[in-house]
Amino acid sequence: MATDLIQMKGIAKSYGPVTALDGVDFAVRENEIVGLLGDNGAGKSTLIKILSGTVTATRGDIFVRGQKAQIRNTTDAIALGIETIHQDSALVTQLSIARNLFLGREPTIGPGFLNRMDKRKMNEVAGRLLKEIGIKKDIPATTPISYLSGGERQAVSIARALHFDSDLIILDEPTNNLGVEETQGVLRFMRRARDTGHSLIFIAHNIHHVFQVVDRIVVLRRGKVVAEDVDPKQTTIEAVEELITGMAITQAA
Amino acid sequence: MNSTARPGSSIVRQLTSTPEFLPFTLLTVLVVTFAALTPNFLSQGNLSNLLAFTPELGMIALGMTVLMTSGEFDLSVGSVFGFTPVLMWTLFNEGIMPLELAMVIGLIVAVGIGFVNGWFVTRLRIPSFLVTLGMMMTVRGVALYTTSGFPQRTWRAESWLMDLVVGDFYVGGFRLYASLFWFIGFALVLGYIMTQSKFGNWIQAAGGNPIAARARGVRVSVTKTWLFMLTSFLAAYAGITSSIRVSAANPNSGTGYELEVIAMVVIGGTALAGGRGTILGTVLGVLMLRMMRNGIVLIGVPGLAYNIFIGVTILTMMALQAYLARRHPMGGG
Repeated sequence: MATDLIQMKGIAKSYGPVTALDGVDFAVRENEIVGLLGDNGAGKSTLIKILSGTVTATRGDIFVRGQKAQIRNTTDAIALGIETIHQDSALVTQLSIARNLFLGREPTIGPGFLNRMDKRKMNEVAGRLLKEIGIKKDIPATTPISYLSGGERQAVSIARALHFDSDLIILDEPTNNLGVEETQGVLRFMRRARDTGHSLIFIAHNIHHVFQVVDRIVVLRRGKVVAEDVDPKQTTIEAVEELITGMAITQAA
Repeated sequence: MNSTARPGSSIVRQLTSTPEFLPFTLLTVLVVTFAALTPNFLSQGNLSNLLAFTPELGMIALGMTVLMTSGEFDLSVGSVFGFTPVLMWTLFNEGIMPLELAMVIGLIVAVGIGFVNGWFVTRLRIPSFLVTLGMMMTVRGVALYTTSGFPQRTWRAESWLMDLVVGDFYVGGFRLYASLFWFIGFALVLGYIMTQSKFGNWIQAAGGNPIAARARGVRVSVTKTWLFMLTSFLAAYAGITSSIRVSAANPNSGTGYELEVIAMVVIGGTALAGGRGTILGTVLGVLMLRMMRNGIVLIGVPGLAYNIFIGVTILTMMALQAYLARRHPMGGG
């Protein structure tokens, strides 16, 4: 197998006396969906925040395609091809779909000092993306996000990550508060992203959703990796739940 | 959120959902009412008068609109409006430097005040209400202390600069001031920035969802700091304009402007909480409140009663905006 897309080695993070992560090794290969599971406080969010640049690690190294990487802020992460879609909202509801898609990377037209957005291009690309991601209703790209349903919003977030060719898309509870059909839409989307050459990290409390879509499951407990190569096809939800809560270990001891 | 309320369902819907719809309608009603009640309202003299002072408050309101769209506001604008001309005219009257240089220094100091506001808000993470309240008192205090409360004279100066800033001239029977064109110019530039530029997209994102904006690589703190500096600059420029027009730099002038300006901006349809702002709406809001003050006096309401009218108007506008906001997620609030 070639080098991993992302490799995190010996990652540690403490908040004062509280240790959130204690020497975690974590890797994502090319073209795979990794499910990152763990109970509240297990360290999932911290690990993801370190990877997406909102938190810096106390110790440890990150490698992107074998190259040592410095991720000091979100801009660094985005430049390395790492996109994060947060659970609450990664979108500005007051702005249109097109303005959100290109936020922070708006294409410009004309002389530089005018700083003018190429709105025609933005709306054109956004319109095409909306069709691609399977939003069937005819929504113009100039529609503000506040008019969209929860599933449509997640779809826009994912479409944005796909459009900017992120190598790694991190989804933090993307199926929270979504209906059944919308959830299926998001999961379909994740598969399509993988099949077109992206890797994904999927964090969710709902293990059923994780089982439907991931290639591999990594389980964190109290800041440590307790399982890193669980194949959802070879195990059961119950077995994974035991890993998350640590019940199996207590019984074995 | 009503998912059936997509735009384009009908022209009327679309029209009423634009944030400028309400201020435009009310401005029209206001003009028609005052014109019907008193013929003086639309007289040349009165309109000239109205257009003399309006640009000065209007320029502050333009800066405040952009700043409020980014989710912050500035209570120190009234103090900067009073302090900058005092500084500029003191430097000139004491013979320290020529007028042109004094004006440049005054504007630089004002931009510095804006920077300090921005730094406190974005780096120390203190709410802009507290930071700019403190700055409002500090700057006003400096203006009062250094002048011992006395106005600086400005009538002895002769400079091309004064004509450029607020020179008057006649168009037909209308007496117009150059400041009107500066106001229009600033409005056009800021309108362009808000709706067409990349920076404008960042301003709205910073106010709408700063966490999401930051996650996209938008430099929210830098954006906000620039806007604090811009707001301070416009307040200072307006103050200088005013001091030349009325031939005095009074350390007390501009007192209370901050709240009147915020009222104008909000009436114009800019969200107090940030994320959405309209320069056109602010221009309408400025005209509305100025015409109302003017018209109320003309129709003979006692001067002491006119704050009642302003207050009731603001409350009515807010109620209507809130009502429209519930009907259209983009329509207000």
